[in-house]
Amino acid sequence: MSTGAPPLSGPPKPQAKALNCPKCGAAIVLRSFGQAETVVCASCHCILDAKDPNLAILQQFEIETSDIRPLIPLGTRGKLRGTDYEVIGFERRSTQVDGITYCWHEYVLYNPYKGVGYLSEYNGHWNDISICKVLPTVDHNMFGGSSLTANYLGESYKHFQTADANTDFVLGEFPWQVRVGEKAAVTDYVHPPRVLSSEQLDQEVTWSIGEYMYGREIWETFKLPGRPPEAMGVYENQPSAVRTNVTGMWVAFAGFVVFLLALMSGFAMRAKKEPVFHETYRYNRADSKAEASFVTDVFELTGRTSTVEVKTYAPVSNHWIYLNYALINQDTGQAWDFGREVRYYYGYDSDGSWTEGKQNDDVVIPSVPPGHYYLRIEPEADPSLSGIPYTVDVTHDVPVYGIYGIAFLALLVPVIIISFRAYTFERSRWSESDHPPMQLSSSSGDDE
Amino acid sequence: MFRKFYLLYGFLVLGTAAFGQYRGWSLDTINQLKNIPKSVRDNPGSYRSVYGGYHHYTGGK
Amino acid sequence: MTQPVSNCPNCGAKIVFRWSSSVQTVCEFCKSILVRTDVDLKKVGQVADLPSDSSPIQINTEGKFGNKAFVVVGRILYEYDQGGWNEWHVMMNDGTSAWLSDAQNEYALSLSSKAQNLPAAAQVHIGQQFIWNNQPYTVSVITPAHYRGVEGELPFQYWDKTDVTFVDLRSESRKFATLDYSDPEPALYLGELVEFDDLKLKNLRSFAGW
Repeated sequence: MSTGAPPLSGPPKPQAKALNCPKCGAAIVLRSFGQAETVVCASCHCILDAKDPNLAILQQFEIETSDIRPLIPLGTRGKLRGTDYEVIGFERRSTQVDGITYCWHEYVLYNPYKGVGYLSEYNGHWNDISICKVLPTVDHNMFGGSSLTANYLGESYKHFQTADANTDFVLGEFPWQVRVGEKAAVTDYVHPPRVLSSEQLDQEVTWSIGEYMYGREIWETFKLPGRPPEAMGVYENQPSAVRTNVTGMWVAFAGFVVFLLALMSGFAMRAKKEPVFHETYRYNRADSKAEASFVTDVFELTGRTSTVEVKTYAPVSNHWIYLNYALINQDTGQAWDFGREVRYYYGYDSDGSWTEGKQNDDVVIPSVPPGHYYLRIEPEADPSLSGIPYTVDVTHDVPVYGIYGIAFLALLVPVIIISFRAYTFERSRWSESDHPPMQLSSSSGDDE
Repeated sequence: MFRKFYLLYGFLVLGTAAFGQYRGWSLDTINQLKNIPKSVRDNPGSYRSVYGGYHHYTGGK
Repeated sequence: MTQPVSNCPNCGAKIVFRWSSSVQTVCEFCKSILVRTDVDLKKVGQVADLPSDSSPIQINTEGKFGNKAFVVVGRILYEYDQGGWNEWHVMMNDGTSAWLSDAQNEYALSLSSKAQNLPAAAQVHIGQQFIWNNQPYTVSVITPAHYRGVEGELPFQYWDKTDVTFVDLRSESRKFATLDYSDPEPALYLGELVEFDDLKLKNLRSFAGW
C-alpha cells in the first residue's frame, strides 16, 4: 500500500519447522510458528526447548506403557466455532481421589491468527476450552475455607471439585514450560454446559472457560474415522436436556389441572341428574321357586345420549343380595346387561369392630340413547336370607368423576417421570464432585 | 422439546375427557346386547343374556 | 493529508511517511533508524534484523476499531523472561495514533492518555487500585522487559533502550490500562481487549499451510 516504495519483500513467510532431536535424531516438527515454549520428541521422550535453535533438552521422562495415543492425531485440523485449529500438543494428566487414580487427556490447539485453544477429554466427555481474557470473581465464604461460587461474564458457577492434577505424559508442542510430573492445583466451578477452571502452577493462576462437547461433535469437527468413545456417567458440566423442561412441564401441568377443574364444574352444572325411576320391591325366598324375574314399568329418557345411573339399596345385615339387571330399550331392542351385588357384613373381634361392604350399590351405564326403557330384574340372595326389601333408583345424565381422575393421572405421570429423570441425572452429576448428594441407602462406600 | 410433546399430549387428554363426558362414557363394564324381542315384557323369564347376535335363544335349556 | 517524502540519508532510497506526525522511521532497504528533524532526516542508528515472530499483523495491515478504520504503520518488539510481544503502531483514519498490541494472539488496542500524577515505578505493586476516567483498574502484572527491535513509523524516538518496566492493569470488563516506564516520565495508555474477529483485519501475513 505504500506509494513509491520499492517492492521489497516483508518478513519471511512463516513455515512449519522441521528439525531433529538432539538426543536421538528423530524428526521434530514445530507447527506453531515460534509460539511454542516446549516440544516433545515422541521417540525418546525428551522435552526440548522450542525457542532454542539447537532444541536444548529440558527433561527426559519415562513412560509406563507405550500405548498412550491421542484420539485426535497431532497435525489434525478441524473447524471449531468458525476457526480452523490444528492439534499441536497432547498430554495425559491424572488425579488421585480416595486412592483411585483418574486420568484424562488434554489437547493443545493452534491457529496463527487466534492463538492457542484447548480440548479436554475424560471418559468420552469432551470440552472446548479457552483461557479467560476477563478475570472471573470468586465469592469468598464468610467463614473462610474454599469458595463455593465464582462469577464470570454475568453467570454464576458452583464449586464442583478441587484436586491436584499431575502431568503424566506429553506429546507435541506446548505454549508453557511443561514437565512430566508437574502438579497443578485445579478448581472447577460448573454452570452446565460450561465449566470455569482455575489452575495454579507454581505462583501463577490461570483461569479457563470450557464448553461441553459430545464425542460425535468432535469426530465431525476433526473428521475422524470410526466412532468416538462412549461417554460414561454424567460429567461435571454435561448439559441435561431433560432438566430445562421440568419447570415448564410443571407449569403446563398446573394449567391443565385448572382446565380440568373448569371442565369438571362445567359438565357437573350441565348434567341433568334427572330421576326417572324409583321403586321398592321385596325379595322373598319363597318366591324364587317360581319365576323370580320381572320387568318394571316403562320410563322415558329424554335429551341426548348420556349416562344412566342405577342405584340399589337393601338393608342387608350380614347377608348379600344379587340383582341381575337388564336395561332394555322398548323400541330398538337394545339392552345393557349387568349384575350388581349388595353385601354388608359386620362383627367384632380382637381388633375391635369391623365392617365389610355397604348397603347400597351404584353403577353407571354409558352412552344410552334417548328412548323408552324398562328394567328386567332377576334377584338372588344368600340362602339364609328369607326376605328383604330393596329399592331401585334410576337417574339420567350423571357426571362421571372417575374420568377426571384418570385424566389427572394421565397428566401427572409424564411430569413425574421427567422430573425423576432430571433428578437422577443431577444426582449422578454431583456424585462425582466434592459435594456428593446424601446417600439414600445405608450401604454406601463413600465416606464424604 | 419435551414440553411441546407434553402440551400436545395434555390437550389430547383434556379433549378426550371432555368428549367422554359429553358422550356419556362411564367406568363400569356393561355388556351390550341387541335385538331383545318385545316378548320379554310379557314373559321376563324368557330373557337370556345371550340375546346379542341372534333374535332368539338357540341354545339348550 | 499530504505525505511528506524524503530520501534516506544513508542509502538514498525514497522514504514516505504515511503519518504526518511520525518522528522516527526505519529505512526498509538499509535498516537505518531515521529521525525527522525540522529540515530533513537524520540517521541515528541501525536496527538489526527482527527475530522471526508469529504475529499475523504486519506493516500495512488494515483494520477497524469500533467504527474507525486504521492502518498499521510501525512496530516495537519487546522481550521479557517468558517470551515477547508486539506493539503495533496504528494510524486511525482521523489522523490520531494508537497502539495495537499482540501478545500470543491476544489483542488489545490502546491510546495514549494525558492523565497527570502517575506513580513512579517503585511505588506500584500488584493489587493496587487506580481510577482513571471513572473506571477502576487493578494492577495485575509488572513486567520488566527490554526492547528487541523496531520497524516502520513511530510517534517518538525509540531505539537502543535497555530494560523498561511495564505495568498491566485489569478491570472487571475488557478495559485495561498500561503504565509505560520507558521514559523518565511515566506514560499511561488506556485501552480495551479486543477479539481478532472484531478487528476485521485485512492484508495480514500469510502462514505456510494456512
